[in-house]
Amino acid sequence: MNLIKNPDLLDHLASSYALGTLRGGARRRFETMAREQAPVRAAALIWQTRMASMNELQPQSTPAPAVWTRIDNLLQGELQAQSLLAKRQAASMAANVKPGIGGWLRSLSLWRGVSAAGALATVVAVVTGLNLRTQMGGEIAQLQAKLLTTPQIEYVAVLADDKSAASMLVTFDAKSKKLTLQRVGGFLEAGDRSLQLWALPPAGGPRSLGVLGNDKLLRLTAAEGDVREVPTLAISLEPKGGVPSEGGPTGPVLFKGALIQKML
Amino acid sequence: MLFFFFADNIVMNSETPDAELILLLDRVALHDPAALKALYDRCASKLFGLAIRVVTNREWAEDVLQEAFLNIWRSAGDYRASLSPPMAWMGLIVRSRGLDFLRRRAAERTHVTQEIDEVLSDTLEGDAPCPMDTAQASEQAWALHQCLGQLENRQREVVSLAYVRDLSHNELAQQLKLPLGTVKTWIRRGLDQLRMCMARFA
Repeated sequence: MNLIKNPDLLDHLASSYALGTLRGGARRRFETMAREQAPVRAAALIWQTRMASMNELQPQSTPAPAVWTRIDNLLQGELQAQSLLAKRQAASMAANVKPGIGGWLRSLSLWRGVSAAGALATVVAVVTGLNLRTQMGGEIAQLQAKLLTTPQIEYVAVLADDKSAASMLVTFDAKSKKLTLQRVGGFLEAGDRSLQLWALPPAGGPRSLGVLGNDKLLRLTAAEGDVREVPTLAISLEPKGGVPSEGGPTGPVLFKGALIQKML
Repeated sequence: MLFFFFADNIVMNSETPDAELILLLDRVALHDPAALKALYDRCASKLFGLAIRVVTNREWAEDVLQEAFLNIWRSAGDYRASLSPPMAWMGLIVRSRGLDFLRRRAAERTHVTQEIDEVLSDTLEGDAPCPMDTAQASEQAWALHQCLGQLENRQREVVSLAYVRDLSHNELAQQLKLPLGTVKTWIRRGLDQLRMCMARFA
């Protein structure tokens, strides 16, 4: 069939193709002709462009304000993860500048090892930084030692407030299914309030991981599925006892931070 | 009719909302979070309306809008190469994420149930004036708007649904609870009229 000699049929097929109602064998034949003949391809593209305008003509509707909050949380998590990655790469570069070993440096397994070492270096650096800044007691030193020696701790997050001061150290041990939270800042909520920990998954709303007590060291039970592939954790200030997970946080988000999977 | 279209078009040109959105997309491409917020403030209602139309309820549409904006954040660098008006480009992203969402849901459910459709109810009833909304639409969309306005209400609705939800004749007949032959006739007539009308704007 020579569609180019039959402009009306070409227009008809191209418009049905773009609308999406040209299906099955007829659609495949049209696609083949479009690949082989530029005028057919051009007609298809023109109609795809015209039909795409349909997307712009739908009635408006204002989304709930929480939608932007969710997008912003994920965005901040992503930005934080990127800056951590950059630091990690810088650290591994600094640790490994040795001249005259070009081929060896390009070995993939070496770079994997180096980036894992970099990740550990980042954790050490963060923990050391916290140590210097906040006169930590024995509990934190203990936690730090545990962080470095126990291979089961697979996820680490440092939650910071809006001034980037670290306020909460979170580790997750997949083996015992325990989230350990360590308060490292001076923040103390009022007696009629509770802090609540949330996972901010890439899709869907925040999921509550639990409500925090007043202790300096806190443990919550969580399945690995609750934590895996979650880019960001956040802590909100809620009424005493917390709020149900389904509705998401009702109070302000005080601390948040990227959740990093440890590579060692 | 034509005269009015061109008059509208001149007004659009003097305002060029497209230019403003393009500048914002350029800033988003450089990972400026404030630009994404500004883009969201300008476009979220328009794109949320589209998401509702694709996935049929507000709750799902919120997930789609969220995914779409993260998508825009990551791929704004590709925008200029698309040569599309900004709202058309973002509209395609929202529609794709919405269709992905519907496919994921269909895969999760073995039995197909008719979900409550907040959009379809009574759209085919009566003969209200063209419900199409041109607020913030790109200049390119005006021609289509003019031509859709000439279709009969139900023809326009079926054509619009076929595109936005990527439905076949069969699927349309099922969702609209209409005989297959009726759907085919409406689509064919609607498309024929659209072709004749769009040819004048080519």
